[in-house]
Amino acid sequence: MALSLGWKAPRNGCGLLLQAMRSSGLLLFPCGRCPWRGAGSFLDPEIKAFLEENTEITSSGSLTPEIQLRLLTPRCKFWWERADLWPHSDPYWAIYWPGGQALSRYLLDNPDVVRGKSVLDLGSGCGATAIAAKMSGASRILANDIDPIAGMAITLNCELNRLNPFPILIQNILNLEQDKWDLVVLGDMFYDENLADSLHQWLKKCFWTYRTRVLIGDPGRPQFSGHSIQHHLHKVVEYSLLEPTRQENSGLTTSTVWDFQP
Amino acid sequence: MAELRALVAVKRVIDYAVKIRVKPDKTGVVTDGVKHSMNPFCEIAVEEAVRLKEKKLVKEVIAVSCGPAQCQETIRTALAMGADRGIHVEVPPAEAERLGPLQVAQVLAKLAEKEKVDLVLLGKQAIDDDCNQTGQMTAGFLDWPQGTFASQVTLEGDKLKVEREIDGGLETLRLKLPAVVTTDLRLNEPRYATLPNIMKAKKKKIEVIKPGDLGVDLTSKLSVISVEDPPQRTAGVKVETTEDLVAKLKEIGRI
Repeated sequence: MALSLGWKAPRNGCGLLLQAMRSSGLLLFPCGRCPWRGAGSFLDPEIKAFLEENTEITSSGSLTPEIQLRLLTPRCKFWWERADLWPHSDPYWAIYWPGGQALSRYLLDNPDVVRGKSVLDLGSGCGATAIAAKMSGASRILANDIDPIAGMAITLNCELNRLNPFPILIQNILNLEQDKWDLVVLGDMFYDENLADSLHQWLKKCFWTYRTRVLIGDPGRPQFSGHSIQHHLHKVVEYSLLEPTRQENSGLTTSTVWDFQP
Repeated sequence: MAELRALVAVKRVIDYAVKIRVKPDKTGVVTDGVKHSMNPFCEIAVEEAVRLKEKKLVKEVIAVSCGPAQCQETIRTALAMGADRGIHVEVPPAEAERLGPLQVAQVLAKLAEKEKVDLVLLGKQAIDDDCNQTGQMTAGFLDWPQGTFASQVTLEGDKLKVEREIDGGLETLRLKLPAVVTTDLRLNEPRYATLPNIMKAKKKKIEVIKPGDLGVDLTSKLSVISVEDPPQRTAGVKVETTEDLVAKLKEIGRI
């Protein structure tokens, strides 16, 4: 299956890569030594221009001022514009969700957690947590999101933080065969009961098959606090959210990193 | 100070700009494939609740809607405008057609008690049935004071000052909380749900419950006999002079 081949692909296997991209879902593998230089070449120039025009580079107001991200801010046209004029799918990637913020902060403050390890960022969105993992010395990273535009945003965000873009998988990873990861991180992914159920099952399998460490970041969403996964969670650390994040996420004041141990 | 909690009821109706078509069998109007949106007066109610929250006078705004699955879209709009969480009282489509103010008022009254809210806000009427009854009936079931057709709402300690638009002009009432308020056109101008808020609303919780969970029986004592178009307007007659007008009026026996 093209997916597992993806990030282990041999450097001269670019023909294989093209085939993989064409057949299975969008598998972006920015390959440093390929004729294609970095991930920038994989970005549709029109969408890249759209992203650059309609997002703002920001690093303030979040728990991780060290990470620059292209996000929707009050200085962007679509902050105020009629929502039905947005020409793409729902831009979850355009917000730095509080659950992801806590995870990113934790990884930046505790590089031992990721140094030399393989990390999967499930539901990567803006890619902040994957970027934090890279900054802290993870040896292999895969950012996963079902939205191809998120994939492009993640690539741009890597460049912003002067990182070589890492592999990005644009498919619903819950439907694919599991790979061995040292660490799986999920930022703010438990806001929907059905999704939470699927994730819970998938994570249990990951844990029991590969002894993967699973870290979840969540700001205390009722859908998460009331889910049965709570029985298997150990609190790692709780951060107080900054005022801009609090205002944007009414009612939420802190965000916590949880260790999943079924 | 802001320990007050507000329940806002929102109704999903055919969009105000749509041309209504009566079904050939006269049992109702065509709704399939027709654009629906939040009742404009309900939007005003949500806006008022959110403004109270922004002024830190209300701590939590709960949006509720009764009806089939599509109601959740309307609740999401309320969440995107700033409500904190939603409650969808799920009613199957066939039964939903027979939902009227009496049934909804019973649901709202039970919910207001269950959620221990201090304020129930609704639009004064829905643009599909124009009943203008739900708010009043809800207040009746709860035995709470009501301020209907509100054009201004001000919190004064544990009382609510409500300015109402009535036939004779403006009436000002002071209501003891908890209370029911229904909103009129001039109360406020509702905000657009913008993209960032719509995104954030996707992660807010909507609880789904059944009317039975609240102990409410939805049986209606009303049945619709027929729905028809208003009679076509017939052409008028143009006259040239006042004399002609008087002659014409005499002719048709009007004078």
